[in-house]
Amino acid sequence: MSNAVTQSQMFGIVLTIAAYFVGLFLQKKTGWKLCNPLLIAVAIVVCVLLVFRIPLEDYEMGGDIIAMLIVPATAVLAIGVHSNLKILRRYAVPVLVGCVVGGVTSVFCVLGCCKLLALDTMLTASLFPKSVTTAIAIDLAETNGGVGSLAALGVFITGVVGAMLAPTFSKWFRIEDPVAQGIAIGACSHALGTTRALELGELQGAMSGLALSVCGVITVILSFFVI
Amino acid sequence: MSVLAQIGVVLGICLFGEAVSAVLPLPVPAGVTSMIILFVLLCLRVLNAKKIEGVSSFLLNNMAVFFVPSCVGILRYADVFFENALPIILICALSTPVVFFTAGTAVKLTMRLMNRKGGSGDV
Repeated sequence: MSNAVTQSQMFGIVLTIAAYFVGLFLQKKTGWKLCNPLLIAVAIVVCVLLVFRIPLEDYEMGGDIIAMLIVPATAVLAIGVHSNLKILRRYAVPVLVGCVVGGVTSVFCVLGCCKLLALDTMLTASLFPKSVTTAIAIDLAETNGGVGSLAALGVFITGVVGAMLAPTFSKWFRIEDPVAQGIAIGACSHALGTTRALELGELQGAMSGLALSVCGVITVILSFFVI
Repeated sequence: MSVLAQIGVVLGICLFGEAVSAVLPLPVPAGVTSMIILFVLLCLRVLNAKKIEGVSSFLLNNMAVFFVPSCVGILRYADVFFENALPIILICALSTPVVFFTAGTAVKLTMRLMNRKGGSGDV
């Protein structure tokens, strides 16, 4: 009987949505920054799967349908960029400078840390693309002798850190301008960070989406030279 | 546009984006190519953003949910993670604020520099 339930595509979809609403509720209730709805939702789903011994494959039958929406959700970020075209035109140079600086620091920061910790090439190649979207990161890691799954992990942790702490970082580093905030979030924590940037404001979200695209391309180009 | 038509248009753009991504020699994800295609369509006024507002605001407002399944999928790599947990966490947690700081500050400083140079000159 339980198989019939978990092997329905509805199962993954309903579990994901329900877990997310619990996350939203907890965040509202506690107001605690670490209570990120995404993080809570992931934790709840993982717990449910482990406790009831539900295979990941069952969950993913429905989960994949939800995950499929990442592509259109990224695509419609273009609307925000387009409606802020005037601002973008005015700040084209700062935006580009920010993306290049962000992309370059990300790669060199990881490479530096890996050198310091004396990690092997496999780990280094897996982690250097951690600030870009999963799709780019896995590809880059594997073409450079890394492991795709490790790259996905690095991307995930980076994204969660960015999504949770973006507003805190803005305060620490005194980044108050919405354009600068958006670029910083997109450059350091790709699409996961962008979900948080959208909560800060439409302009931040648009800039973050723009930065994640530009930084992704920059990281791809950089990988030809550095690795 | 009806909701169904909006879904058709947005997914159609994504399908085109996926085709472009498959052809490109560089690993550019479909989301990024679709975003560029939609941006071009908006600029050329082939498409009005208002027409797909219902679906696009649904997608934007709930973006975080769509990432839940892929994050759960990381479960598959639990053993790889525990083998290398410390360096991975350390590097990711450390470099994220660094990149935030450099990218944000770069934008801020360039803006300030341009303002000083151009005075009040907008546009």
